[in-house]
Amino acid sequence: MQPSILWRAVFLAPPLAVFGLIVVWPLLDSFFYSFTNWNGFDPNYRFVGFENFTKVTSDPLFLHAVINTLIWIVAAILMPTLAGLALALLLDTSVRGAWVFKSIFYLPICLSAIVVGQIWTWIYQPDWGLLNTAIGAVQGAPFTFAWLARPLTALGSVIVAWSWQQTGLAMVIFLAGLTSIPHDLVEAADIEGATRWQRIRYVVLPLLRPATVVVVALMVINSLKGFDILYIMTGGGPFNSSDTLAMHMYNESFKKYHMGYGSAISVILFIMTLTIILVYFRQLRKVDEIND
Amino acid sequence: MVTLSRRTVLAAGSAWMALTGLAGRALADGEVTISHYFTGDLGLKGIQDIFAKFKAAKGTSVKDSPIGHEDFKTGILVRAAGKNLPDVFSYWAGARTQFVADSGNLHPIDDAWAAAGLDKVIAKSVADGATMYNGKRYLVPFGYHYAGLFFNKKVMDKAGATAPKTWDEFKALCQKLKAAGVTPIALGSKNRWPAQFWFDYLVLRTAGPEYRAKLMAGKASYSDPEVKKAFAAWKELIDAGYFVPNANADDWTDAADKVAKGTAAMTLMGTWITGYWNGNGLKPGEDYDFYPFPTMTAGVPNAVVGPVDGLVISANAANVKGAEELITFMVSDKDVQASWAKIQGALSANVNVDPANYTPVMKRALDTIKGAEAFAFNYDLATPPPVAEVGLSMFAKFMDAPANYEAMLDDAQKAATEAFKK
Repeated sequence: MQPSILWRAVFLAPPLAVFGLIVVWPLLDSFFYSFTNWNGFDPNYRFVGFENFTKVTSDPLFLHAVINTLIWIVAAILMPTLAGLALALLLDTSVRGAWVFKSIFYLPICLSAIVVGQIWTWIYQPDWGLLNTAIGAVQGAPFTFAWLARPLTALGSVIVAWSWQQTGLAMVIFLAGLTSIPHDLVEAADIEGATRWQRIRYVVLPLLRPATVVVVALMVINSLKGFDILYIMTGGGPFNSSDTLAMHMYNESFKKYHMGYGSAISVILFIMTLTIILVYFRQLRKVDEIND
Repeated sequence: MVTLSRRTVLAAGSAWMALTGLAGRALADGEVTISHYFTGDLGLKGIQDIFAKFKAAKGTSVKDSPIGHEDFKTGILVRAAGKNLPDVFSYWAGARTQFVADSGNLHPIDDAWAAAGLDKVIAKSVADGATMYNGKRYLVPFGYHYAGLFFNKKVMDKAGATAPKTWDEFKALCQKLKAAGVTPIALGSKNRWPAQFWFDYLVLRTAGPEYRAKLMAGKASYSDPEVKKAFAAWKELIDAGYFVPNANADDWTDAADKVAKGTAAMTLMGTWITGYWNGNGLKPGEDYDFYPFPTMTAGVPNAVVGPVDGLVISANAANVKGAEELITFMVSDKDVQASWAKIQGALSANVNVDPANYTPVMKRALDTIKGAEAFAFNYDLATPPPVAEVGLSMFAKFMDAPANYEAMLDDAQKAATEAFKK
């Protein structure tokens, strides 16, 4: 029996209401505020047209944040994806105890970004952190470089910590992809005399394409969401050098009380994200069509 | 298969009610809600004891939501934007309170102030400088602080050093400590604000309080020779290697720990550092002491720097009467003020508190303030928040690479002009 339209509406109403209230409404709200000079809590504000959007062109911190955001996206596509793939290939064996390693490598994704950020803040601590202690032991002299406090290394150090967490996720998706590769294909390659590398390059990797598509999409989306770990590790510092667009938006809105300008930045970030996702899913559909 | 008992459903339901605040509002009529930044190292337990005393004295319970110092600065404004402010919240007197008062989010307390006779409780200088905004009274001072050069007494004694009075003596002291193998100055500017006290004192001691007040109000420029001179003096200290390396990697407590352990000799910090050190078992006057920032230019009035912690009532407070009772109680009750001074290392805003309640170090801090010709709020409380953001980042940048400070100051002035326009 087909459920009536009324019942569908009844069951759909609560989630739609929640979604509308906490996603759509604030989204529309920030579009609205991006055209005002609202400071965040003053009831008196006025419309300023596109002033907030033209202001970004003369804001050096905005340009810097765009560059950092792009660096993060590129790193997100490369680092956790490659590391996750390498781990998956290594662990895709019938060796006893492989599941132990799989669990260990997957563990970081179970931690909250705040915990991961705090752990890595300790690792990077200049005087007694794990990293500098190790470098000091190797070179035989104390090493006290402040990874998170120097403008050239702050962003990179955060991205490494973030990638460490995301690698487990990538690995699991690749492992799932590997189990779906028909065994006879790999066997055939072996019989034809393919080397281990040739087998991976010409048989395994092409068949991992659907998994790769999912991993890359997830990493790009997660990188754009990567605000919490940056907030806990550097807060965009030192002196805004590791600001991403999300952090710049936060600083302008909540620290400088330029809520209107902050909203304009969030609208730009929204359009950027939407474009990336649309382009990506268009490509995805093409891949699906070829596969079909 | 999970089965839901009626109790589970009820529990989940009431948890949801509590989360949404429905249960809280319906059940506890008459309680006062408060949000404050006195967490962990800054005296959480102390303030909760005070709320218990208030309940015992007035019969009104206090529901508090403490938020860490740094997150409080933004958190409270998010609540203001959502018209969801607690009845009472702690706030820093000065430009920040001005900012919130301008937006109409505060409830004036002139009547409560008069009814509680606070004119007789709070020193006039503090009352005039910290409580009035736009011609009305909005803030009750709960405690205040003084920034000085706090040092490890054993390290200083060992190096045979005495407290410097002039800038030349100060530099000679740094040289002496450095030669003895101790880093002279610890600074933890990871959260930026600890560096501001250097800027404050260097400008106050060279250009004077009047010039600084102009700079804070946007009537003088960061490109002025006065500011450049202050930065040149600061740079001289950094170039000579008197500051710890990696100041931007440390928090203020890390800097305090370095001084406590004796790897660094001194740190320019507010009196709350005494509360932190006492809590870690250090003895005031034996393990640590302080001296005022040395004089630099003859004839410049002697100013002290510090913040005033205040309590304000939000404009849409649900329980105005209870809120007024709470904030006047917190400053009028001598026991409350004395215990707070002890726990947090604050100076009491209540003139009737017996100085015998202070440690010898705090007594001297009080005397230093009394002997000063001007009391100035520290940088991020003296200039409007959007401008303070620009300056605080500049200080951290300067600590990282002090060489091209002139260009930094010109950039800061551009950003400050923009920020003052709003």
